[in-house]
Amino acid sequence: MSESDPAVDRFLEGSDAGLTHTAWKRALREDVLLGEACADCGHRSGAPRAACVRCGSRELEPIALPTSGEVITETTIAVPPEGFDGPHTVAIVELDAARIMAGVEESVDIGDSVELVGVLERDDEPGPLFG
Amino acid sequence: MPRASVVGAGMTEFGPHDKTLSELFAEAALPAMADAGVERGDVDALFVGNTLGGTTENDTHLGPKLASHVGLAGVPTQRFEDACATSSNAFKHAVRAVESGPHDVVLVGGVERCTPETGLDTPEMTKAFVSAADRQYEQPAGITFPGVFGLLTKRHMHEYGTTEEQLARVAVKNHANGTLNPRAHFGKETDVESVLDSPLVADPFRLMDCCPFSDGASAVVVASEAFADSFDAPVDVTGIGHATDIVPIADKERLTATHSAREAASQAYEEAEIGADDVDFCELHDCFTGAEVLATEALGFFADGEGGPAAEAGRTELDGEIPINPSGGLKAKGHPIGATGTAQIVELTEQIRGEVGSRQVPEATTGLAHNLGGDTATTLVTVMEART
Ligand SMILES: [Zn+2]
Repeated sequence: MSESDPAVDRFLEGSDAGLTHTAWKRALREDVLLGEACADCGHRSGAPRAACVRCGSRELEPIALPTSGEVITETTIAVPPEGFDGPHTVAIVELDAARIMAGVEESVDIGDSVELVGVLERDDEPGPLFG
Repeated sequence: MPRASVVGAGMTEFGPHDKTLSELFAEAALPAMADAGVERGDVDALFVGNTLGGTTENDTHLGPKLASHVGLAGVPTQRFEDACATSSNAFKHAVRAVESGPHDVVLVGGVERCTPETGLDTPEMTKAFVSAADRQYEQPAGITFPGVFGLLTKRHMHEYGTTEEQLARVAVKNHANGTLNPRAHFGKETDVESVLDSPLVADPFRLMDCCPFSDGASAVVVASEAFADSFDAPVDVTGIGHATDIVPIADKERLTATHSAREAASQAYEEAEIGADDVDFCELHDCFTGAEVLATEALGFFADGEGGPAAEAGRTELDGEIPINPSGGLKAKGHPIGATGTAQIVELTEQIRGEVGSRQVPEATTGLAHNLGGDTATTLVTVMEART
């Protein structure tokens, strides 16, 4: 493991706990996107796991992701699930090699630059909102 | 080498059914048992798929309930849930169970009620379906299943130039095939213009790019190699592949690859000792038109990026080089989630037996089924061949 990052550490429950979903949620609600970097294969993810989704390594370092990035793909959803008003846009956004699924405020195209503008809240589960 | 044989097949029409899950299942299971000529006492186990009954109908522990309803109380049962790949996974386990010895004859099927006519309305059902997406890292963004496949397909369009017209051609073909299938939810032809003019669901998909919510059931009787010869019309299962891919989709290596389908296909081809070129026809998981394009590439029928042009050129039509979804597919036949996988096996069985009338693929001796679950996270691929 590399040097710990105080900007990340303040959300973690303890040095050995790794990145929990509770910590990830708390950070997102303060406009900080947390993720994990794999020490073995280098994969960066915005979805905390107990092991690297690509190589299975447990050597995952909690990291703060940039809050701006590029749209990799997007869709405008006209028939929303219960609890959402349509139409709304959902995208896969790449933030320094880590990709996450996020809501987007307005319609965007692949390749557009977007930045974190807020949080979607449903059933006590926050989701990042870009614009 | 056969792993097992399908010796009986049955399914309901797909569409609205105002019946209980047990009643609906019986309408597939009893005909499958009659087709095989088996009765209580001949069937060693029941494997059954149902995806949403716990969520939508407060109905779980379905194994013994369905067994009781069809006269099989007492046999061991197993219920499966793998999103839309639910009953092909049940089928896989039935095949493995007779292949490896614990059972000789297994009844396997699926049942689901999803139509707004008989259950939840569309927003509630859309929410129930999306339970298969990642709870923490996908659902809060407001994603839906048309949205998941919209994301994958938009990327495919960006990388390869796949067009909305090419996607529409998939719907037109599957609707045409569906008109030849008396069990199809939709029995009406459509055209490219009507597809492109239908209301937006999740771009690039319009209503006519999307499969319907259906009610329905399907079932087959699987027998071991040792028992198969004692039945009238066995069709051999020669290969099965089953793989998963990373959830959430953002972490996948390549969004357009449907990696689990590639891995499952490679396993199934290897087990059956065949290649994509040997397949005479295919039933695949066209939950959305874009999903069919991605699947025809993942299964090796066309090179990456060629799935759209191939659909447009008619290469996947009933009289094309590789007929895809002669049943009408999920698009026209319908998609009662947990019943879809074994319904594909019913179509493979009846095509290979030469029993399907006007939608019969000529010389259909080798068929392939591709059943996908969740955000392309589970895929099962099954190869079936005429008994030689
Ligand atoms: Zn790794």
